[in-house]
Amino acid sequence: MNVIEVNKLRKEFKSYSSRSGLKGAFRDLFTRNYKVLRAVDDISLQIKEGEMVGYIGENGAGKSTTIKMLTGILTPTAGEVRVNGMDPHREREKFVRTIGVVFGQRSQLWWDIAVQESFRLLKKVYKVSDEDYNTHMKEVIETLEIEPLLDKPVRKLSLGQRMRCELAAALIHNPPLLFLDEPTIGLDVLVKMKIRAFLKEINKKYKTTILLTTHDLADIEALCDRVVLLDEGKIIYDGRLDELQKNWVEGKQVHFEFQELVEVSSLEELSKDFDVKWRPGERKNQWVATVEGDDDAVSRLMSQVMLKHAISDVKINQVSTEEIIRNIYEEGIIHG
Amino acid sequence: MFYLSIFFQYAAQYLKTRMTYRGDLVVEIFSDLLFQAVNLIFILVVFGHTALLAGWSREEIIFIYGFFLVPYAIFSAFFNIWDFNDRYIVKGEMDRVLTRPIHSLFQIIIERMELESLFGVITGLAIMFYAGSQLGLELSWYDPFVFILMVIGGAFIYAGIFICLASISFWSDSKTDIMPMMYNIGNYGRYPVDIYNNVIRFVLTWILPFAFVGVYPAAFFLGRTEWYTYAFLTPVMGVVFLSIAYFLWNAGVKRYRGAGN
Ligand SMILES: Nc1ncnc2c1ncn2[C@@H]1O[C@H](COP(=O)(O)OP(=O)(O)O)[C@@H](O)[C@H]1O
Ligand SMILES: [Mg+2]
Repeated sequence: MNVIEVNKLRKEFKSYSSRSGLKGAFRDLFTRNYKVLRAVDDISLQIKEGEMVGYIGENGAGKSTTIKMLTGILTPTAGEVRVNGMDPHREREKFVRTIGVVFGQRSQLWWDIAVQESFRLLKKVYKVSDEDYNTHMKEVIETLEIEPLLDKPVRKLSLGQRMRCELAAALIHNPPLLFLDEPTIGLDVLVKMKIRAFLKEINKKYKTTILLTTHDLADIEALCDRVVLLDEGKIIYDGRLDELQKNWVEGKQVHFEFQELVEVSSLEELSKDFDVKWRPGERKNQWVATVEGDDDAVSRLMSQVMLKHAISDVKINQVSTEEIIRNIYEEGIIHG
Repeated sequence: MFYLSIFFQYAAQYLKTRMTYRGDLVVEIFSDLLFQAVNLIFILVVFGHTALLAGWSREEIIFIYGFFLVPYAIFSAFFNIWDFNDRYIVKGEMDRVLTRPIHSLFQIIIERMELESLFGVITGLAIMFYAGSQLGLELSWYDPFVFILMVIGGAFIYAGIFICLASISFWSDSKTDIMPMMYNIGNYGRYPVDIYNNVIRFVLTWILPFAFVGVYPAAFFLGRTEWYTYAFLTPVMGVVFLSIAYFLWNAGVKRYRGAGN
């Protein structure tokens, strides 16, 4: 069964610009100049029960806008959305009982009151019985290790502590579907790992479907089998994460650290027989070659380079997901 | 009733939070009282020069003011939406509201309630009883019921007007000074409308019907039979304006576009 069913979904934002001067202001009264920005451009998407899907894309790609349409916050400009079998915007109040939402940049909790008071109010709002609350939330609180935070007001919590409480708050009614928009933004690695482990656990235990956006690809690698890649409002890849890694680049990355200054032209000259791309590394005199082809090609390239230039260090890496995605954005379409 | 129980949950939480800062609470109630005293003094000063204002005596005007305080107190306690644009639209708090299974307007009412404003009900009643006894008004058995109806009507009118204004933010989130201006216009309803010219009287009756929050319903208790038609229109106007506001609000929510980061 598809939990999320999206067909040619579109969201446009009109932005008005005002004309200058008195005459312009007067004309603005009758006809206003506006530009239409298509934040989400006819996307289609199906997500099945129990899936964990990573929704990624650069800033402004339209991730949050999509999530806001899927959660009933925004009305779509065009297209169809059915989530949990309902139209999120039209049946909003009934629908939101079946989902949990976390926006990393925004708090769901009451700022001035203790965390447990927030939980208590939300429990009433979602009509959760004492019995369900006690069994389910006790576990959530334990796993997220927020027991000692419960009697503190939200404004006194650190970002990482707050985020864990936000996550717990979104799960009070044990929803079968969870939307997370940048849940790990600004968190340190330890908290990130805690949150990932927790999400994995509820997904396994309750078959909770999770759609999450993030800037940290490590989140995706740790959690999601499937990724949906968004670029300027369009889906440019939807499939398995490992397929993406396999199809996009078969090759490897070689990090060369030279003993002296080396020009890129000289590197390109001596590697012109290879399918290779060079880019400067992070350190001085470091260059990274992305080589397509088999291991043989890699070793031949290395010997070519080392014959010509003195090397202080060399490393061979598998191409990282981050690298793949950067390449996709730079070159547009997927090949392979 | 789910909404009623949620309302009490929020109210209980509100009181709990407020009681921890009792000092603030006292200061706030005291400043409200001071404000109301200044208004009373203003009326007394005006009547230092004339005995009647368009046929209304000083005690009658004070009575009207007393009445006005009651629906106004209820409005102030539950409809703090003057900063709706800043707080919910520009800062995007509306996102959160829309992810919860309660009508969005109701959520904002219960989130923003300021129960201490209800103190104005007591002040208003005290002023009415004082002015009423000076005028030698009699209390009939049905007066309390009519009073409740009139107060609800008046509070609905205030609420309706301000909800309409807040709903405009869904169409345009540019800053305007319309809210404070409307609070000022609201004050005109406390004086007899026959002291104003026809245009203002028309506006205060049918466009921004603040006269229904003060002078018209109060006229009933003052036994001013010539205003009875208007007096009994008060609850009707209240229901009409609140309904308009409700539909406008719902239409606005469909257009909500969020805060674009
Ligand atoms: N309320 C809004 N009004 C106007 N433009 C908006 C609004 N919300 C988002 N946008 C625009 O839509 C595009 C997509 O935004 P968003 O969905 O927030 O991207 P992401 O979450 O992927 O970073 C951006 O260009 C953004 O400026
Ligand atoms: Mg975003």
